[in-house]
Amino acid sequence: MPDWMVWTPPTALVFTGLALLLCVMAVWARFSPPVARRGFLRIETDRGDRLYIGLISAAVVLAGWIAVTDLSMWLALACALLVAVVIGIWG
Amino acid sequence: MAGGQVATARRARRQLPWARTVFWLYAATLMLPLLWMFGMSIRPNEDILGSFSLIPQRATLDNYQTFFTDPAWYSSYLNSIIYTSMNAVMSLIVAIPAAYAFSRFRFAGDKHLFFWLLTNRMAPPAVFLLPFFQIYQSVGLFDTHLGVAIAHMLFNVPLAVWILEGFMSGIPREIDETAAIDGYSLPRFFIKIFLPMIRSAIGVTAFFCFMFSWVELLIARTITSVNAKPIAATMTRTVSAAGVDWGLLAAAGVLTIIPGAVVIWFVRNYVAKGFALGRV
Amino acid sequence: MTDQTTAVTGGRAHGRAGGQAGGGAAEPRDEPDRRADAKPRNNRAWLLVLPVVVSVTFTALIPLMTVVNYSVQDIFSPNDRIFVGLEWFRAVTRDPEIRAAFLRTLLFSAQVLLVEIPLGVAIAVAMPRRGFWVSVALVVVALPLLIPWNVVGTIWQIFARADIGLGGWTINHVLGIDFNYTLDSTDAWLTVLIMDVWHWTPLVALLAYAALRSIPDPYFQAAQIDGASAWATFRRIQLPRLRGVLTIAILLRFMDSFMIYTEPFVVTGGGPGNATSFLSVLLSKIAVGQFDLGPAGAFSLLYFLIVQIVSYVFFTVLTRTGR
Repeated sequence: MPDWMVWTPPTALVFTGLALLLCVMAVWARFSPPVARRGFLRIETDRGDRLYIGLISAAVVLAGWIAVTDLSMWLALACALLVAVVIGIWG
Repeated sequence: MAGGQVATARRARRQLPWARTVFWLYAATLMLPLLWMFGMSIRPNEDILGSFSLIPQRATLDNYQTFFTDPAWYSSYLNSIIYTSMNAVMSLIVAIPAAYAFSRFRFAGDKHLFFWLLTNRMAPPAVFLLPFFQIYQSVGLFDTHLGVAIAHMLFNVPLAVWILEGFMSGIPREIDETAAIDGYSLPRFFIKIFLPMIRSAIGVTAFFCFMFSWVELLIARTITSVNAKPIAATMTRTVSAAGVDWGLLAAAGVLTIIPGAVVIWFVRNYVAKGFALGRV
Repeated sequence: MTDQTTAVTGGRAHGRAGGQAGGGAAEPRDEPDRRADAKPRNNRAWLLVLPVVVSVTFTALIPLMTVVNYSVQDIFSPNDRIFVGLEWFRAVTRDPEIRAAFLRTLLFSAQVLLVEIPLGVAIAVAMPRRGFWVSVALVVVALPLLIPWNVVGTIWQIFARADIGLGGWTINHVLGIDFNYTLDSTDAWLTVLIMDVWHWTPLVALLAYAALRSIPDPYFQAAQIDGASAWATFRRIQLPRLRGVLTIAILLRFMDSFMIYTEPFVVTGGGPGNATSFLSVLLSKIAVGQFDLGPAGAFSLLYFLIVQIVSYVFFTVLTRTGR
């Protein structure tokens, strides 16, 4: 990777994780095609949509957390993951 | 019967007698600031600052003459035209096959890809300033026309895909199938039949690509310095110099409007017809 | 989009003439979603999309990843940098100036939408539809869109000035109101707002006009036979047809006004004070002006996150309601 992208191990890890997640989703879609349904979000979503909404919501939780409290970011991360999982399963 | 229907339709559409008047009043208001700038461009500077008057007292072409004799001005004008045209062509070449794929097939992740493309159209250019500066310097595209053309694909490719997909979806798939039965290969079908059918769509798309590339300042200014400097940047940099040469600035402004006016005059029928077909 | 179909059937049931003359022939656009189900599944279509993916990777994805990397470091040079975790995010989200700019930009976008969408639709309804004047009207209306944004700024910079501009001069000397956008923050705000309305209402008008033109005549005949008022015709026939394009218009207008940069930069430079320093103005000041990679990166990402959310919400609400 070129110098100017100024990679750090944590960000590299995050992006690798995202890439892997996409691969998993692609493979999963191959074995069982996604079905659209309606959950508590009241809109029709398939699992890709829910993954997207979940990730965005997690990011919002993190951003909101850092904007208002000084509590540990690990706690924020836990909440964010919880939100993502809840949306992923019941959304 | 048919003639009667058309007449009824016309009457039906003409329900608000004052609507046209209101529209032309609006059009006049729209033109007012433009005319004012034009008026300013043909006045000498001392008249502009000296006294306020509705009609120019003395008309002069000095401001335009300065524009066309100073290389800093006219070369940056050419730069803008060059990279804008390059961008429109490149965006179309990339976007046409993709739009066809989106309008004709379902494939893994199509919806998400489509939305992701669209978010790039929505992304604020300011976000990309710093990395663009670094990238274009490191790959040697800094301050080149090609560099700006590629950078502007950031928002033009998604837009082109989005517009073309709308148009293509309006063309029944039976045409593709019939052509396949008649022994047309996909590339041949595409060039011989499909592209001529979506001519107007391509016209409209080219128009929008041209427009958004022509009007953009922030990115174009950041990744150029001298050789590919856009006219827009020349204008803002002149403003920041000591004192403002209002007449010259207005003249440059008038001249930057001309290519747009020319382009829209050529595609106006396509825009009208094309708009009616597709979603934009 | 779905509503278009209901509008079609509703229109036919409503107007006898519709069934007689239209007969569905004038309906080239079916309901897109239903057709989507019939599209063949073919993953080789990815080959056709590949050029787009490559170009967008280069122009959007790689820069975005770089911005993420910036946002977690304090960078002095590519080889001299410190990982600071989420500190920049903490600093940026708590910066009062950035918070104020955020609220200001939201307010501006809201005002822009409130004015431009209804005005654009009204203009589209009033635009001529036949004959030579259609071309003239189209060109006149589209012209502001073709003007480079900084020239739009220049035009209004000149036009709104109290000493040399027609607009500013009229307000001051004819209406007798003290107006000076370089000194008064309300005046500056109004100038930028009016400039945006002048600049972008044509886009809404053109989009809406295109949609209105695609309505087949029989609908209007039917409405006339039933003696529908102009308002009822608009509400029941024209407005439902506008749904699709208004989706796009609202999306485009919200996003573009939310990232407005060039015009206020030229006209007011963000001032007086901070009155018109919107998010993009502030961001490019931090990024290009001060070259603070870390804070600019964090700022950019938060900005981008908001844009993502809003585009998704708009996209979803407006394309999926009624399903």
